[in-house]
Amino acid sequence: MSLNVLRKPSSSFEGTRLPAPPRGPVKLTTALAVAVLALAAWAQAQKPAGVNVTADLPAGAMQAKATTACTECHEARIILQQRLSKAAWTKEVDKMTKWGAVVDPADRDALIDYLSTNFSPDKPAYDPQRTAGAGKSSK
Amino acid sequence: MNSRRDFLKHISSAALLAGTAPSILTWALQQQPAVEVPGEDGMVLRSFRFVDLESPVEYFNTWLTPVPHFFVRNHMHEPSELDAHDWRLSIGGEVDKPLTLSLAELSKIETHSVVNTLECAGNGRSLHRPQVPGIQWGKGAVGTARFSGPRLRDVLQRAGVKPTGKHVMFRGLDEVPGKVPPFIRSIPIEKALDSDTLIATHMNGSPLTKHHGFPARGLVPGWIGAASCKWLTEIKVLDAEFVGNFMSPGYRLPNQPVKPGDAVKPEDTHPVTALTVKSVIAGPSDGATLKPGKIVVHGAAWAGEADLVKVEISADGGATWSPARLGHEQSHYAWRLWSYEWKPGKDGDYTIQSRATDSQGRTQPEAAVWNPSGYLYNAADRVNIHVA
Repeated sequence: MSLNVLRKPSSSFEGTRLPAPPRGPVKLTTALAVAVLALAAWAQAQKPAGVNVTADLPAGAMQAKATTACTECHEARIILQQRLSKAAWTKEVDKMTKWGAVVDPADRDALIDYLSTNFSPDKPAYDPQRTAGAGKSSK
Repeated sequence: MNSRRDFLKHISSAALLAGTAPSILTWALQQQPAVEVPGEDGMVLRSFRFVDLESPVEYFNTWLTPVPHFFVRNHMHEPSELDAHDWRLSIGGEVDKPLTLSLAELSKIETHSVVNTLECAGNGRSLHRPQVPGIQWGKGAVGTARFSGPRLRDVLQRAGVKPTGKHVMFRGLDEVPGKVPPFIRSIPIEKALDSDTLIATHMNGSPLTKHHGFPARGLVPGWIGAASCKWLTEIKVLDAEFVGNFMSPGYRLPNQPVKPGDAVKPEDTHPVTALTVKSVIAGPSDGATLKPGKIVVHGAAWAGEADLVKVEISADGGATWSPARLGHEQSHYAWRLWSYEWKPGKDGDYTIQSRATDSQGRTQPEAAVWNPSGYLYNAADRVNIHVA
């Protein structure tokens, strides 16, 4: 596991920074710093591969039903990045239902409310993650 | 020699660091690792399933985009199984002799190369106001590569196109979820028979990767990416435009500008085909703070089937524009890199804009034409920087 991950916080932890190291470079603190960073890298490496490959929909009364209806075909990020009016969400929900999303007619309005409340035009812009890599490819 | 005070300082800073250790460990455990997508390098993750990846604009500093930096657009799931040995390409419909080709047979047909700037029709969709549904691309669903493979027309001529053949349909092997309409589109016969339209098997000299359509894809130069069907397995000559969701209502523009909420009749729309004129600033980055002195503004500009004529830069809100220097590397369907050396007069905040003009006389507008699906966003690009 590269320590690069420690220098480049992902979008979901925007604003998170490593605590500033204490001043006064000395052997003892340097050794301890190396140990802590190594331990942090080790802790990262212990996480099972594939965790957080896809994102989750936000909490709410319709979270479970929206997850079932929408993520059968595509993951949540496609929803998380939208900023749409209720009219636009209504068209999307009806289109996706026609295309096979399983939405109980009794849940349609609540699903539209859930999506248009969480992903309305006034919400802050979605901040996407990056794929792994250093951006150094040459061919 | 260390004094006692120094020693205590060491101890206290060590203790302080030890105190921070748990928070570092907590942070490391909570931190989402960058998502591994094999073959892709530091791309903006628009979606993992299905895979949609965008190039950060700072990658636009090479004429040819390395494959791991090239945007990926999928409407569906990529084929779960692809075997070069078993793969076949059928050519049928309005032809005299329907054909089926293996990859070995396809590779025996004379190969041509086209350096092409491929751009998703929805590139820049997130910049339209009001926002419209779809993948919320920033500025990076575009890239330039050398595509190689047989000409589509050489394959079509083997099958013998009948005079009734007016459109050529492509079908790929992507896997359709639910009741979603399959991603099938067609191009007019004139474009299909153009000497630069390919069945591409290679990208930048290497076989196509899976994300880019291995083992073969259509390559319709100068046109929106959706025309260049990936994982190509069927070519069918039709007597009219293919009828399906991704020809209509998908990938169509209103004939006249419309306002948000306006109903648009299908007969008042036309298919999106060739790309428009556009430039993107690769550097400096939006929001950057730069030291006073010489600043190199640089980026890429393209114009679909037209030739790029000039790129101009403004650092005074569009009051004056100065020509950028165009890069030497060029090819008919490929973008040109450009650069402009600028020296800010004083410290402060600046908006730097770029606008391109092409051989058809088109210039990037101040504001893009809004449309219900967010296609062909091409407003003059801009970055805000601070000089101090």
